This record gives sequence, C-alpha cells and structure tokens, in this order.
Amino acid sequence: MAKQLLIDAFRGKKTSRAPWFPYAGVNCAFHINEKAEDFLKDPALIAKGVSTTAKLYRADGIPLLFDLSVEANAVGCDLKWWADNVPSVSTHPCSGMQTPAQLGLKVPTKESGRWPVIMEAGRQTKPLLDAMDCAMVGLHCGPLTLASHLAGVRIFTDIYKNKPFAHEVLKFCSEVIAASAQFYVDMGCEIIGIVDPVASQVKAESFEEFVTPYVQDSIKVIHAAGGTSIYLICGDCTKVMKNVCTIGTHGFAIDEQLNLNYVRDMARKHGVGFGGHLKLTMALSLGLISPREDAIASLASGGTEGFVLAPGCDLPYDVSAESMGQVLEAMDWYAENYPAYPETED
Amino acid sequence: MPLAEILKTMHDAVVGFDDEGARKAAEQLIAEGFDPFTGIMEGLAGGMNTVGELFKKQEYFVPEVLLCAEAMNAGLAVLSPHLKAGEARSEGTVIIGTVQGDIHDIGKNLVKMMLEVGGFKVHDLGVDVPHEKFVEEAVRVKADIVGVSSMMTTTMMGMKKLIPMLKEANPKVAVMIGGAPVTPAIVKMFKADGFAASAADVVVEAKRLVAAAN
Repeated sequence: MAKQLLIDAFRGKKTSRAPWFPYAGVNCAFHINEKAEDFLKDPALIAKGVSTTAKLYRADGIPLLFDLSVEANAVGCDLKWWADNVPSVSTHPCSGMQTPAQLGLKVPTKESGRWPVIMEAGRQTKPLLDAMDCAMVGLHCGPLTLASHLAGVRIFTDIYKNKPFAHEVLKFCSEVIAASAQFYVDMGCEIIGIVDPVASQVKAESFEEFVTPYVQDSIKVIHAAGGTSIYLICGDCTKVMKNVCTIGTHGFAIDEQLNLNYVRDMARKHGVGFGGHLKLTMALSLGLISPREDAIASLASGGTEGFVLAPGCDLPYDVSAESMGQVLEAMDWYAENYPAYPETED
Repeated sequence: MPLAEILKTMHDAVVGFDDEGARKAAEQLIAEGFDPFTGIMEGLAGGMNTVGELFKKQEYFVPEVLLCAEAMNAGLAVLSPHLKAGEARSEGTVIIGTVQGDIHDIGKNLVKMMLEVGGFKVHDLGVDVPHEKFVEEAVRVKADIVGVSSMMTTTMMGMKKLIPMLKEANPKVAVMIGGAPVTPAIVKMFKADGFAASAADVVVEAKRLVAAAN
C-alpha cells in the first residue's frame, strides 16, 4: 500500500500507478461479522474493522468512517440506527424556519454527539494504518447535505424563496464542518474529504451561491494543517462539474453515473485530482457487470495523472471480499500489462 | 379569455413556479365556466410534464421541480373542489412508499402528486416502510399498483426481497420501482413490472400497468 501515491494523485500529480481508495464504511463491520450499529458505537470495533478491511482490500487509503449523520447528530438531530447501514437523521430542527441561532444550536466540540467515540477510534486506528502505509481519511458531511439534515427538504426551495434563512443555516453548517475538519486534523488524517451528495441536485448558479462559499472554512482548516482536501459528490453532477473542479479542494470524487473520460479532462484542465467511479450497484453489489472489467475500464479512462481508483460511493454493508477481489485482480493485471501507461512516460 | 389561453397561462405559471399566477389562472378558468378537469390535466399536469422534460435535460433541478409542484398545488387547490363527482374517477389504486431503511421522500412525493393529478387513488405509506407493511396495505386496499422508492443503493437492495413478498400475497399486483439508483436493468433483475425515470413519466407507466392487468 502507498499512502503518498494517494496524496499525490488527489493533488493532481502523475503517479506510477492509480492508487486505490475503497470507501468501506459499514462494509468494515461486515468483514468482522459485526452489525453496523454496534460497529459505529465502539471505537475498538471501528479500529478492528477498518484495519482488517484496509488489509483485505490492500488499500492505499481508507475512511475512518463514511457516515454523514455525525455532524447533524452532534448539533442535536436524532438518529435512527440500522443493522446494515449508517444511521438516518430523523429530526430536522430548522424545518419550521427557525435559524440555528434562534434554536440555540451550537458548533460541536470533541465532546459532542458521537465525537468522543470517533476521536478514540481515530486514536486506535491511526497506528494500525500507518503500519500498512495506508492513509487514514477523515470524511465529514458537506454544507448543503448538512443543511438538508437541519432544515429538511425545505432547504431546496428556501434557496429561492427564503434566501436569508438558507444562508443563515448554511453559515452555521460551514462552522460545524470546519470543526469536523479540525477534529480529523487532530486525529492525524492526512486526507480529509467533504462529502456533499445533494449538491448534485442544484444548478450551477445555486451551487456557486449556496455551496462553494460554505466549504471554504473547512478547506482552510485542512490546508493550514498541510493536509490534502477532497470534495466528494454523488449523483449526476455534470452540470456542476466546473463548480466542483474550482471549489478550492486539491481533488474531488464522483460516482458511477458520470463519464470518467469527461471527468478526467475537466480535472486535468483545472489541475486537480479526481477519484471514482466503480459501479457500486451494477458491478459490486449485483454483479450485472463484472467488477474486474468495470475496474479495468476505469483504470484505462482514469490514467495515472491525478486519478484515484475508488467506488462510486460508500460500499454497501455486505459487499463481499470476492467482488472486491476482482477489483484487485484488475489492478494487478493492469499494472502488469500497462506499467506507468501512458502519462508517466517522458 | 379563450380556454386555450387560460390553459397556456396555467401551464406557464407552473413551469415558471408562479404560485400566484397558477392560482389566478385557475380562478379565471372557473369564472369563465370551463371544465376544471381540463384545467387540471391540460394546464397544471401539462405544465408538470414540461417540468419533467426540463428536469431530464438538466435545465431544472430538484429545487425548481419542487417549486413548480408548489405552483401546481396552488392551482389544484382552486380547481379540485369544483370537480364534478364523476370526474373524480379512479384510474386505479396505488400504494406508495419509500423502502425500509430509507427516509428520502422528495421523489416519492412528486410521484404521488402526479398520480393523484392523473386520476389515481394513492395511499402514501411514508418513508422507511417495513416490507410487511407494504404487503398488508396492498392487500387491504386491493392495490392495483405498489410503488416503491429508494434513494440509496443500500436500501434499494431491499426491493429484491419485497417484490416476491408482494407477488406472493397478490400475483396480479403490479410493482413499480424508482429512485436515484434504479435503472431498467435493475427493474428486470428484481422482476418489477414498471419503472419511471422521473415523476413526469409515471402516469403513463401506471396506466400501462393497469391496462396490462385488466
């Protein structure tokens, strides 16, 4: 495994091979025969699951958690827990159009919500991953997704009808996620990601007004610490691709719906790294497409300049080692047949 | 004002997410003595069909679609009370819900609205609906169609278990699935009967399923 390859690729640099970054969130629980809820509540189980999975997948980097409910819970939202999935946010305190300030919501500390568990999990997991030369990646919720947790569906119409309210909610969210970024810096995460799935559901002008400004505090925290920043977005984000490329992070990651050739060209045009986009549903979960062939196609499109091989999104709980084994086979086959192809040849 | 002009005004108000414009056009249609059912189907629903096309072309996104739906509802609030008893016919009975483990409902709510406007009687089970509840309710209301939505790949996999349960309880029920991760290949693999890529397509698909069953 090679942590530095992952860092270099996400910063848009040429690498000797495409590094591999499996987003194994609660999938880590599966590999140690634990339910997702039990896993996420126990630092020792998180450390065991993440390190076991990193080794199993020969990961160059792996998230400590892939759970976008952490921030919402830390400011007071209730959660519904599942045996085979991350928790769902079940209450939306700002949905009655009261601002976070009016509700008395506070920016979390390391003692808020689940942060004590996560901080301890990070403390236990870091040395295990360091020993494997695997980057421990901190992923926190993006501002628009967090705003949708706090305000519910109304945030999508508030960005038209109640702009001051939307901006106030998002300003609060930007402070919350900057705190998360700092927590992950303090844990020693070399790469920190801002995960904002719903941002693909707005037009470019809305993204520019309601997303871009509200990730900057988090990016500042990451860069001030010398870390590598990435912005992860799900869904068909073609229309906001330029916004994503210029948001200010070192790199970004997209899901399986996009054309990787197009993404690659956009990323290189803007000098940023890009990750993606193995087909979670069609290949890794359902096997309608061979995971091996899907990986080869991604490796061929992505190349070795600023490209990180990764799934399209968080792996479902029960994705098997066999499916992922096919991805590893593809990586080995590709490295053997196309060593440093073609960009690193001078 | 001629009917065609009022309908165009209504259509444009929906597409322009103009609640007030939709409401005023609906009031004018009633004042002029025109058929409210025509206003609903050709003005309001017609506007949402255009919205659906704009969504497919990625000119409209979730916020715009939601705002258009609000405008349509503003017009519906005026027209619905004036529908003649016979006009509130049912094209069929539908159960709809978001699959167990999933709490996303934007798409499901838009589909529900389109089906109601399209003449279907819709029982909305909400979000995170246990499989057993889908089955019980489908049997209880004698559903023609069960609509199941999911936003995430992880929860979509639950549909694979749910569909055989529904078919066992009633082999004639048609199952329509939808949501961000659902594709035609998955519809086939899960042995669902129907699929709509967007809310705009759902009424046509639902009518096809009911006709196929009869």
